[in-house]
Amino acid sequence: MHALPQLIVSTILLGGIYALIAVGLTLIFGVMRVVNFAHGEFLMLGMYLAFWAFALLRLDPYVTLVLSLPLIFGFGWLSYRMVMRPVIHASHNVQIFTTVGLSIALQNVALVLWSADSQFVRTGYYTVVVRLGTAVLNLAQLIAFAVAVLTTAALFAFMRWSYTGKVMRATAQDRAVASLMGIDTGRVFALTWAVGVTCVGVAGVLLAPIYPVYPTVGLQFVLIAYVAVVLGGLGDMAGALLASLIVAAVEVIGSYVIGTAWKEVLYLLLFIGILVVRPAGLFGQRGAEAIGT
Amino acid sequence: MSLLSVSGITKRFGGITANRDISFDVEAGQLIGIIGPNGSGKSTLFEIISGFYRPDAGVVRLNGSALTGFSPDHVCRLGVARTFQKLRPFSGLTVVDNVMVGALTRTLDVRHARARARELLDRVGLAEKAGEYARTLSTGQRKRLELARALATEPRVLLLDEVTGGVDQRSIPGLVQLVRDLHRGGLTVLMVEHNMRVITAVAQRIVALYLGEKIADGPPDVVTRDRRVVEAYLGQAYVQ
Amino acid sequence: MKGTWPAVVFFSLAAFGPVVVRDAFLLDGLILILLWGATAAAWNVAGGYAGQVSLGHAAFFGLGAYSAALLGTRWGLSPWIGLLVGAVLATAFGFVLGFLSNRLRGPYFVLATIAFSQVLLIVGSRWRGFTAGSEGIPVPFRPGFWTLGIADKRVWVVIVLALAVFLYLIELYLERSRRGYQLAAVREDEDAALSLGVPALRLKVAAIAASAALTAVSGALWAQYVGFVDPFYVFSVDLSIRFALAAILGGIGTPLGPFLGATLITTLETYLRASFGGIGAGLVGIYLIIYGAALVVMMRFAPQGLVPWIGERLRRRPVAGPAS
Repeated sequence: MHALPQLIVSTILLGGIYALIAVGLTLIFGVMRVVNFAHGEFLMLGMYLAFWAFALLRLDPYVTLVLSLPLIFGFGWLSYRMVMRPVIHASHNVQIFTTVGLSIALQNVALVLWSADSQFVRTGYYTVVVRLGTAVLNLAQLIAFAVAVLTTAALFAFMRWSYTGKVMRATAQDRAVASLMGIDTGRVFALTWAVGVTCVGVAGVLLAPIYPVYPTVGLQFVLIAYVAVVLGGLGDMAGALLASLIVAAVEVIGSYVIGTAWKEVLYLLLFIGILVVRPAGLFGQRGAEAIGT
Repeated sequence: MSLLSVSGITKRFGGITANRDISFDVEAGQLIGIIGPNGSGKSTLFEIISGFYRPDAGVVRLNGSALTGFSPDHVCRLGVARTFQKLRPFSGLTVVDNVMVGALTRTLDVRHARARARELLDRVGLAEKAGEYARTLSTGQRKRLELARALATEPRVLLLDEVTGGVDQRSIPGLVQLVRDLHRGGLTVLMVEHNMRVITAVAQRIVALYLGEKIADGPPDVVTRDRRVVEAYLGQAYVQ
Repeated sequence: MKGTWPAVVFFSLAAFGPVVVRDAFLLDGLILILLWGATAAAWNVAGGYAGQVSLGHAAFFGLGAYSAALLGTRWGLSPWIGLLVGAVLATAFGFVLGFLSNRLRGPYFVLATIAFSQVLLIVGSRWRGFTAGSEGIPVPFRPGFWTLGIADKRVWVVIVLALAVFLYLIELYLERSRRGYQLAAVREDEDAALSLGVPALRLKVAAIAASAALTAVSGALWAQYVGFVDPFYVFSVDLSIRFALAAILGGIGTPLGPFLGATLITTLETYLRASFGGIGAGLVGIYLIIYGAALVVMMRFAPQGLVPWIGERLRRRPVAGPAS
């Protein structure tokens, strides 16, 4: 079992990134009751942002990350105002198709701007690896993991201790009561959406030095995030975090045992299995899936 | 043999016992009221009789054969129809289509079902609303719609959940009269009701529940004077 | 029957198409309009009439396409048999999905359907030994009706028109029959429907299974018409969205809506491909940007779709929008 340390390290690194994608998704669901089918496209845009900054301005992705935070947040806010706000009180189906429409549009904006070809951000440290005992890890992965964990932790702290975070949690629990208490739920939704988008946008910038980017790259990552979010219980941030690690473990161990070609089948089957057996997630209350009606 | 018999019904949710060993019989043609303060288990009992919940113990029988264990749609086809406390019209369908859905449980012919639906709408006083979308109706009208819809399934026992609940005062007498007329027509009715004045006016017999248990069962004037019933309600009043 | 004249006009125009039009490009457009319309109508059976919105219907389409192609290339069987096998397989999967729909509602159901189609995508693209993997399968052209090797596009128009009319009639049935009314009740409020004696689960399962089988039939015919099956296309989420989009655009839960939606989408796509195709391949993305934006705008202003929006007074039966 000399591979074990490597498997553990890989799982944790991968899980950290997945967590950052998943917490944004679950936050948006928890507060707004919207499943964002365009979540992956915000990831894709983050990756392209890093690519563009790198190709045109020679900016290192980590510099881009810091500079682009307000840009991503602003884009999130804008997309809420223009797309989501009009349908925030509409039925589930209307919301689903609105985000699907947004997803199609963003994907193809990317297609028109950057073509369907895979683009790479080849930094100088692309091949630099770090040795940790017998385990080997890519530097970019390590940085991505560290930033992802920091961002996730910051989001948790924000939700737990800041006044705004409390207001968001109150709205998640009961928007009608929150509204009666004088909370401007419209602003809460806008903020939630923008924060969720920022999380996944940051994840995109972080992934750029590791994975190639193409217009539909969002789907493969967001599918994993869906698995993690459902596994952790839709709307449950801590659950999403833990579930991201579980999904990463399934993927890493799956690739090791049966090869990379079939690893996706593993987590998709896990996903369908969870949906069937415990739609409310591992830690959720049974019957919570009825919210979906 | 009684038409509907409830015997030994017990239902728990986690640590809470919503119904504990509840038994009573309903004879054909009776109009029975079920009363009790909030949380006394009336709604749970209704959900059990109509097949939406499965009891942990006990059995409900219609004409001697068990209803418990069957799905709600099957219970309806066996002859027990219900209305909902929180009204559930098919808002996207027209009023007449709403009632047709009920009628189609008893007939295969759409035209026949439509005719039957119109008849029933006439009976509950919604005839002129037939072509409107159900979502346009007022609460009182929705109550009538639910009644018509349930009647369309030709029930032998009708379960009414809070017929006058949430309805403005002026609409109550009309609804009460409607229930009374249905009963006079020979229908067996079991109604949950908050409004004591309504229940004592129409029910022949009252079953009182408190904290999941049956505490009284008898004619209205006896039950409403029963010491435990009064305490249950007064206690409730004090708590509030 | 009243209220059906727009459909009569639509299908008559389609039937007369081959008589007056000889241009292969236009006939091809007509065939695709009818085929996509029929597929969207098949989606509509589950997504519109039963209210079970799926974004994984490409799975069924792909099952049909692969069944026809594989049975033909591996065992030399007729695509008609492949079509039947595909429909049976899709029905089986549809049953499973239908039973799941009882536990999974709204977004959960949508997610499950996406995951399901992704599983088939992976199987289709990775199981090299059987499906030829990501390279896809060229469907050999064997002349004859039994082998569906038909060069004359006018014959294809007749075949897909028959399928389209068949689907329209199914939807008309769902609009006006006893089962249709009951299904509408289930879609509006399942518990209320149950309380009125409607066997909700059975109806939902039947609707989803029928929808799956019909989608597979479309897939099988499409594979024979186009002559090539690419797993990344036939199992893609994009294709699933396309079926849903055509139905929603035209009017979800209306009989003619999916055909109208498919007409608009296919025409726009063909036009934009023809005008931008030469300039740069990337520009074909423009029509998809328009789709996406159109979908967002539609959901905001007319979530019930174009058919109800245009012809409110043509039918007395209310329509099921995603708004319901």
